[in-house]
Amino acid sequence: MSLLVDDQEKALKFYTEKLGFIKKTEVPLGEHKWLTVVSSDERNGVELVLEPMAFEPAKVYQKALKDAGIPYTSFATDDVMKEFERLRSAGVEFSIEPTVMGPVMIAVLDDTCGNNIQLAQML
Amino acid sequence: MDPVADFTEDVLRAGVTDSVIFVLMGTDKTYYQEQIAKISRESGLAEYQYIQVRQSRHFMEKHYADKIELDQIAMAACMSRFHFVRVFQMIYGVTPRQYLKDVRINKAKALLKKGLDVTTVCYEVGYDSVPTFSSAFKRGTGLSPGRYQQWHKSNPE
Repeated sequence: MSLLVDDQEKALKFYTEKLGFIKKTEVPLGEHKWLTVVSSDERNGVELVLEPMAFEPAKVYQKALKDAGIPYTSFATDDVMKEFERLRSAGVEFSIEPTVMGPVMIAVLDDTCGNNIQLAQML
Repeated sequence: MDPVADFTEDVLRAGVTDSVIFVLMGTDKTYYQEQIAKISRESGLAEYQYIQVRQSRHFMEKHYADKIELDQIAMAACMSRFHFVRVFQMIYGVTPRQYLKDVRINKAKALLKKGLDVTTVCYEVGYDSVPTFSSAFKRGTGLSPGRYQQWHKSNPE
């Protein structure tokens, strides 16, 4: 799956150092690169492409989502509350703190690269 | 051993209560925050029903290795069998039987990755027949347990 980011280097730092993903591939492609990260639990699992946001209409789309508070994507986690505490201590900002929504608990954070990211835990 | 009684006791011992945390930052809500508030308000189910059904899910997570029947799972949710299946599916989108199957397949994947043989894994995750287990595993993952183990060995994480 791919995620548009406004700065690939900044995104790599945030997704690995803050969210705990592991860098999988980094292939230079002109001024950008093919950059993917994976979950530390499943290194052969789904890869997340941190994709450069060079296409103008993509910027419009991403900004509209960001301004509306809509998460670009959602990651499953075993313990939203624990992740919220850990990430908040690390300086990550949340637009929605841990909230129970029927069968799930969600929280929404700012990835500092132009996206809202939702964490979700099945209760 | 009565898994339902054990489970109920565990829940009571842990003093499990449901705390609904609903904190939205600031006063100007975003579109998404408004939608979340709206969905919460308009949900057709009462909070206690979510709590009851969650109990059944935790029951399955805990007793997947035992031979548990649908009646026991419904009992963990304090609901009649028919009502339970309907509400469970409404909340999680799958039947309790399918959910339990998924739990067992995921546990089996973890045990196969550890190198346990297929027969041992079959009994460890609550199946009493290797062909039934193998067929359920293949339907869930696309690979037989043996092939899955081989694939994992050749692609270590």
